Amino acid sequence: MTLLTRGEREDFDQSSLMKPGGKQMSRLNALLVFCLVILSGMATAAKADPIKCGLSNGKDATGEPINIGSIVSKTGPDDFSASASAAQAYFQCVNHNGGIGGRPINYIVGDDQWNPEVATQLRAKMVDDQKVVAMVGSSSFVECAANAKSYEASGIIVVAGVGVPRECFTSKNYAPLNAGPRLSTIAAAQYLNEKNGAKSFVCISLNIPNFGTWVCDGINVWAKANGLKSDTILIDPGSADATSTILQAAALKPDAIVFCLSKNTILSLLSAADQQGLSDKIKFGSGAAAYSRELPGVIGPSWNGKFVTNMEFQAIDSTDADNQNWIAIMDKYAAPNVSRDTFSQGGYLAARLVTETLLKLDPAKISREAVATALRGVDNFQSDILCSAWYYGAEAARHNADNTLRNAIVDGKSWKVVSPCTKVVDPELADIREYEQKMRR
Amino acid sequence: MLLSFVISGLGVGAVYALSGVGLVILYRTTGVLNFAFGAIGALGAFFANEVLNAGYPAVLGWLCSIGAGAAVSCLYGRLVAPLLAPRDPVVRAVGTLGFALILLGTMGWYWGDVPRRLALPSDAIFFEISGTRLTLTRIVALGFLLSVIASVTLTLMYTRLGLAMRALADDRRLSSILGVRVISVELTGWLISGVSAGICGVLLANLVRLQALHLTFLVIPAIAAAIMADLSSLAITAVAGIAIGVIEACLTLWPLLAPYRTAAPFFVSLLSVFFLAFRAHQSGRPR
Repeated sequence: MTLLTRGEREDFDQSSLMKPGGKQMSRLNALLVFCLVILSGMATAAKADPIKCGLSNGKDATGEPINIGSIVSKTGPDDFSASASAAQAYFQCVNHNGGIGGRPINYIVGDDQWNPEVATQLRAKMVDDQKVVAMVGSSSFVECAANAKSYEASGIIVVAGVGVPRECFTSKNYAPLNAGPRLSTIAAAQYLNEKNGAKSFVCISLNIPNFGTWVCDGINVWAKANGLKSDTILIDPGSADATSTILQAAALKPDAIVFCLSKNTILSLLSAADQQGLSDKIKFGSGAAAYSRELPGVIGPSWNGKFVTNMEFQAIDSTDADNQNWIAIMDKYAAPNVSRDTFSQGGYLAARLVTETLLKLDPAKISREAVATALRGVDNFQSDILCSAWYYGAEAARHNADNTLRNAIVDGKSWKVVSPCTKVVDPELADIREYEQKMRR
Repeated sequence: MLLSFVISGLGVGAVYALSGVGLVILYRTTGVLNFAFGAIGALGAFFANEVLNAGYPAVLGWLCSIGAGAAVSCLYGRLVAPLLAPRDPVVRAVGTLGFALILLGTMGWYWGDVPRRLALPSDAIFFEISGTRLTLTRIVALGFLLSVIASVTLTLMYTRLGLAMRALADDRRLSSILGVRVISVELTGWLISGVSAGICGVLLANLVRLQALHLTFLVIPAIAAAIMADLSSLAITAVAGIAIGVIEACLTLWPLLAPYRTAAPFFVSLLSVFFLAFRAHQSGRPR
């Protein structure tokens, strides 16, 4: 038996003597509190899970799994797995919310280790052995060149979260959600020219076939068409000496330096430029790889209001509905150390698009052919993360639907959007723009 | 213009050299070529970054990195290395490679691939030479290199521990029979290697980037420097490391070679292997 202390006894006495009929009042108060708790609980339950994915019915999918594959470049010079991580988070959410008519998605992610041979082996395993119905959320430096033709031959459609080298944007069955590094880097250069008056550029990219030269050629073509000057520096992905690269670029005396590199390489180059005191002398910009939530917080105060990046998608902290849904899904289904960046948005969009397409099919008749036909028919996929509706383009020889982009600038420890959705000026887009005009008619 | 790139290469070269020295010391003491050197340094750098981000002074970050490097290195040196000691040098080296992969996986799991920057107060202090800034961090790297070489050389030459280490390097079994406390002396080798890795980790994270995978594989230029010194001379390793860093930086000046300058360590070490083999052939020594 526990005895009350003197203070507790006094508190008890005072509460029961506060008003006439103290005990009855206490019961009434208790009842009121109970009702309030129930009501607030109901209110919380009503908005308990604002996440939207698949059927959103809160039931676990238990039927026969549907195999979907993805190939990413994870281990190697840099980690490009954020796209597949986001797609995985979305598919987990779908599986906890009814799946595809009760069938869960078995999402198989392979790491090509930046090695085309490994990418080919992974494709063969997923397509031939595991019988995937589509590839979704892929993001690789090497797999487009290695696998694009095989995907076409196997009738597999790839809805990539992030297309990286040229082949990802020039293949018949490969349709990335993002704009790609070439358009993204041109968009950053366009901004630096229009807003900062930059007239000479150095484009720094990776010495990877069909990547670095393709991207920087985009800057060169755009610069030439506009009477501007542009030089190219290609570096090895494993390069350790960032200072020499920055000194090499600065020696060309450009008004602006634009990067098309991975975010960690960009960070090392910005650190080197900072140490050399170049942040005040030269304008710096980048393709969308730099657009990660963490970067402004780590590059240091010297870059505040100076470093511009293209975004490819919506601002990562946008309060628009679909962007908030992406954040909520990542918070619930992905580990905290998984990047919440542009690539993650791409993976989320790819997974959402494919899920919504699959939900329109008869769950019992989901086959590779049925999925390919359905995906080819996507012509108006809407999301506030995109500048305009995404389409597959069934009759097009290649796919690059995301070609209207925004830019952001470092603002303290975050990004500030500085330009609205703007059409990227790249002569290579002529066929895409023509196709879009035909579609509108 | 060339001077700018020499200055640029000096900092990274000094860290390659320091890493190479750490490798040679351990190899001479234990016969183990430590492929985990870069991963141990990366782990130290991540710890230092946590300490710096929490607002503690840079000195504490350094100490934390050195402490973590020494602890992890000694742990392997005490628990795993003795089990592999009777095996071939290749097996012992592959053991450290396995350890590197474990550390790499742990770092990837815990810290992920979120961009990080390890900034040091010494970055803001610099001397301008030929329009290029030589930051205090680079000078600190050179200072560490010289002090490690000096202290290790003096230890090897003038102390009982040094004598025991040299004896072990010559013949492990005979040293044991003569009463050298093999495990204890080898552990000292692992400790020195771990301390070097901790120092190199912070410097490379600052001068290159704080990324587990990248730092783990920066052991390659250090191995190249150690090979150039035939895994024996600390002074030659130091010069070779600096040379690799400077050559890598200076290749930037030639546009045709610049995209391939990261191959410099391999090329230089290949040349040195041919040279050493040729010299051995001339002197009639087997290699």
